Amino acid sequence: MTFVISSTCVDIKDMSCIEECPVDCIYEGDRKLYIQPKECIDCGACEPVCPVDAIYPDRTMPDDGPEELEDNRAFFYETLPGREEPLGALGGAAAFGPIAADTPRITDLPLNPEAASA
Amino acid sequence: MPAPTRTVDLLVVGAGPSGLYAAYYAGFRGMSVAVLDGLPQAGGQITALYPEKLIFDVAGFPAVKGRDLVDSLIEQAAPFSPTYLLGEQAVGYEERGDDVLITCASGATVAAKAAVVTGGIGSFHPRPLPGGEQFQGKGLEYIVPTYVPYAGKRVVVVGGGDSAVDWALGLEGVAASVTLVHRRDEFRAHAHSVKLLKDSSIDVVTPVSPVSVNGSQTVESLTVRDVKTKEQRALPCDALVAALGFTADINHLEGWGLATYDRHIVVDTTMATNLPRVFAAGDIAEYPGKVRLISVGFGEAATAVNHAATVIDPAATVFPGHSTEGFPA
Repeated sequence: MTFVISSTCVDIKDMSCIEECPVDCIYEGDRKLYIQPKECIDCGACEPVCPVDAIYPDRTMPDDGPEELEDNRAFFYETLPGREEPLGALGGAAAFGPIAADTPRITDLPLNPEAASA
Repeated sequence: MPAPTRTVDLLVVGAGPSGLYAAYYAGFRGMSVAVLDGLPQAGGQITALYPEKLIFDVAGFPAVKGRDLVDSLIEQAAPFSPTYLLGEQAVGYEERGDDVLITCASGATVAAKAAVVTGGIGSFHPRPLPGGEQFQGKGLEYIVPTYVPYAGKRVVVVGGGDSAVDWALGLEGVAASVTLVHRRDEFRAHAHSVKLLKDSSIDVVTPVSPVSVNGSQTVESLTVRDVKTKEQRALPCDALVAALGFTADINHLEGWGLATYDRHIVVDTTMATNLPRVFAAGDIAEYPGKVRLISVGFGEAATAVNHAATVIDPAATVFPGHSTEGFPA
């Protein structure tokens, strides 16, 4: 059970969710934020604070949800470009710091028009 | 060696639903019991994160509001007069003869014949302000229990949630000046509080992120960077309040020497940990096939306490008897 950040977050990265997460399991990638599915305790504190409604639980996902869920998993458990091995469970985003990479799927997305207008 | 502050049969570490139910069960088994928690109130995550939400998967309750479940658990344990040690963090463990001696961050000590750790996701700490390490207690604070120490001071508050906005509003009129800085133009606080903020004399600086805390001995200014223009400016202040939310961890429990796996405590089928006389139950307990739900935590708490009973008194049986037979003498 985990919450998922969808690609609606791309180029927005508002980061309000990071302040709400009680277990510090939301990590900052280059273009979006990602929830570590093994560290997420499913409390839901992040969901209402997202200004672009990018966050939802893995149980009530929209049609493209499974793809977004897989992408959040891949960020931590597949080797990201420029890294030697998967990130895995990092034990806290604040201590680990930003990660200057995204999954290839996110990297290939065009610039989010919502971000351009912000 | 000083005498322990308190002596009980069973110490429960963590006052969430599993811990409160463990306290009931300890009382039912005739043990004296103390319940310790780092937060100032009982109820753990329920009270801290979702007191008003309805919970639908507690056996026997078609739906129960979080705070009502906590109140009922406290009422259920009350006949056995558990001692509540709130605002205490259990940082140290040592074996002492047939007792365990638990040391709290405050220096208080509890001697118990056994302990059950029901610590959930761990204890909560304020999220640190980057660059603020050396200024904590020297002008930088993370919580504002009273506004009195801020009289006549220039105060900068950092954050966008309820705590930040409420504290800024409370400081207005007490402090010489109040500045509220936040990463975004919008605040997450309750709409009413945000309206009060707009009508106040508080200087709201957005959208900026903190860059550094400056001062020779104590805080003298906070440097912030405009999120859009990237321009930096220093906000002079005598006091700085960072309200950036809370995170939980079990680092202090790992200091006991407990075996952990992915931030959880490893237990066997009796809920026993690797440490003598120490059991764990609820979300913090880990074993193959674990399901993290309140209803599972209740069962684990009963298992842990009934096995602790046989450790405390080897003549005792694991099976407690049926509660329908009435309270034990």
